[in-house]
Amino acid sequence: MQILISNSSKEPIYGQIYVQIKKLILTGELQEGQLLPSMRQLAKDLEISVITTKRAYEELEKNGFIYSIVGKGSFVSEQNMEMMKERKMKVIEEKLFVAIQNGKEMGLSLAELKEMLTLLYTEDE
Amino acid sequence: MFNLIRKDFVLQKTTLMIMIPVLVVYLFLGTSSIWIGIVFSIVITINAYTIDEKSSINMLLNSLPYTRKEIVSSKYIGAFIFTCLVVFIIFIGNLIIHQEITIWKDILLIVSLVMVAISFIFPFLYKFKSQYMLTSSLVLFAIYLVVITLFIPNLNDKIEEFVQMLLTLQTAQYYLFIALLVMALYACSWLLSIRIYGKKVF
Amino acid sequence: MENVIELQHVQKSFDGFQLKDFSVTVKKGFVTGFIGGNGVGKSTTIKLIMNLLQPDSGTISIFGLNYKEHEKEIKQRIGFVFDENIFYENVTLAEMKGIIKPAYLNWDDNLFNHYVQTFELPLNKKIKAFSKGMMMKASLTIALSHHAELIIMDEPTSGLDPIFRRELLDILHDLMQDGDKTIFFSTHITTDLDRIADYITFIHNGEHIFTKEFYKVEEEYAIVKGGMELLDGDTEQEFIAIRKSVHGFVALTDNKTRIENIFGETVLIEKPTLEDIMFYTKKGSEKHV
Repeated sequence: MQILISNSSKEPIYGQIYVQIKKLILTGELQEGQLLPSMRQLAKDLEISVITTKRAYEELEKNGFIYSIVGKGSFVSEQNMEMMKERKMKVIEEKLFVAIQNGKEMGLSLAELKEMLTLLYTEDE
Repeated sequence: MFNLIRKDFVLQKTTLMIMIPVLVVYLFLGTSSIWIGIVFSIVITINAYTIDEKSSINMLLNSLPYTRKEIVSSKYIGAFIFTCLVVFIIFIGNLIIHQEITIWKDILLIVSLVMVAISFIFPFLYKFKSQYMLTSSLVLFAIYLVVITLFIPNLNDKIEEFVQMLLTLQTAQYYLFIALLVMALYACSWLLSIRIYGKKVF
Repeated sequence: MENVIELQHVQKSFDGFQLKDFSVTVKKGFVTGFIGGNGVGKSTTIKLIMNLLQPDSGTISIFGLNYKEHEKEIKQRIGFVFDENIFYENVTLAEMKGIIKPAYLNWDDNLFNHYVQTFELPLNKKIKAFSKGMMMKASLTIALSHHAELIIMDEPTSGLDPIFRRELLDILHDLMQDGDKTIFFSTHITTDLDRIADYITFIHNGEHIFTKEFYKVEEEYAIVKGGMELLDGDTEQEFIAIRKSVHGFVALTDNKTRIENIFGETVLIEKPTLEDIMFYTKKGSEKHV
C-alpha cells in the first residue's frame, strides 16, 4: 500500500492519508475484505503520530470505506457497485477533460482527438 | 528496602576495603577498642549518607519504587549493620592479635554510643547539608572548650568517671535499662528523620 | 478513553513561582508532548507526577491510583528519564544496573542488553566519563528495561544530535505498537513532536493553556498576515497577540474559522508551528499584564 505524505502541503496529514486510501479502494487496488495495516504500524511506517492515522481511519470508517473489528483490525468494506461505477465514471470524465484541455491548447480538433482515443483503445486490446 | 542497604555496601566497597585494614592496624597498635569502634562506625555511616546526598541521587531514589520512609529507614538499619560489622572485626582482631576476648560491656558501650551519636547526626543531616556538619562540630567543640574552662573545669574527668562507672556496674538490669533508653532515642530520631525527609524538595 | 495521568486543581507555590489550579490528563496508549518555555512549570509538573514534590492542594492520580497508598505500585510501572544525570558518577553502567535492577519486579536483562547494544553503550566505563548523549541513552536504557507502562521524560532530546533524535523517535514508535504504553515528555524542540506526539499539552506561567490532539491545534490555530489598515480596536481583540511592522502585521488566532469569516480573502492564513503558538502566547500574556 503506497502512501506518500507531504509535510509542506496545506492539506492536513490525516486528510492526505484519507484521500490516498480512498483512492486505492475506489481503483480496486485495495479489495473488499482486505486487512489494512494497523493504525500504529502505519503511524510508525509513515513517521507520524498514531492519532493522525486514527483520525484518517475514523473518517474512512464514517464514510463507509472501511470497517473495524475490535482486536482484529480494519478491513476494506464492500463497495456499492452502482456508486463505485458512478465514481469511476467521474474519474474518467475528469481525466478526459484534462486531455481535451491539453488538446485544445495545441489546437487539436474533436476528430483528431477521437482518432487518438480509438487508436489507443484498440492498441491496448 | 534490603536493596537500599545492599546498595550502600556496594557503593562503599572501595572505602570499606581501605578502612578495614586501617582498623586492623590501629588494633595492632593497641589503640582503645571503644574509641576505634565508635570512630569507624560513625565515619562509615556518614560516608554512606554523603554518597546519596546530591539532589540528583535523591531524585533517582525517589523515582524508583521506594518510599521516602524506606529510604530513611535503610540508612538507620544500615548504620546499625555497619556498627555490628566494625564490632565484629574488632572482636576477631582482638582475638587474633592480642588473644583477648572483647568483653560484652565494651561492645555494648560502642554500639550504644554510636547509636546515640547517629540519633543526633542523622536528623541534622536530613535537615541541613553535610557541609554544615563541620561548622557545627567546630561550634560544639568551642562550646565544649568554654564549658570546661569556665564552668566545669574537670568535665573530662567527670566523663571518664562516668564511663568507668558504667563499665563497672554490677547488675545487668542497669545495662538493660541503658540499652532500652538508647533504643528509644534511636527510634525517636528515626521517626524524626522520616518526618523531615518526607517534606524535602528535590 | 482511559487516563493514565490525572492532575486535578493542583496548586503548588514556591518563591516567585506558582502552579495555578492546574488540571491535566494524559491518555493511555498515546504520546503527549509537553511544551512551554523555560521556567514556566514543566519540570515542576513532572516532579509532581513523579511524587518528587507534593502539591499544596489538588489531587494527582496515576493509573487511577494515588501516591499516598500506592506509591511503590505506581513507580513499578513508570520508566523515567531526566535531563540531568541522576546516576552515581563513580560507578560503571553495569554496576548501576546492579543497583537498580533489584528495585523492579519486571526487570528484563534481555531488554537491557538489547538497548545497550543498540545504543553502543560501554558497560565498564565510569558514568562520570559519559557524554551528554551517552548519559541520555543510558537513562533511556534503564527506563525501558522493566516493561514500564508509562514513560515520563523531561527534555529527553536536549543535547542530542539530530540523528540520534530521529532514532529515538523510531524507538518510541516501536514502544507504541502494542497500544498499552503511554509516553509523556516535555521538550522545547518542537519539531520532534511533529513525528510522534498525539496530544500537545501547553503550559505557560504555571497555567495549563490547552491539551489537544495535535491535528486540532493545527486546525484551530492559525498565523494571520495582513495589512495594517485591517487592524482596529475591534479586530485586534480577535487575536492572541499581534506583531506589527510598517510592512503589515502577523498575528496568532485560536479560532481560524472566525478569522476566515471576518477577513475573508484580505489576509494570508497559514498553518502555525508550535513555536509560533508558544511565542505569541507569551507575547499575549505580557500585553495583558
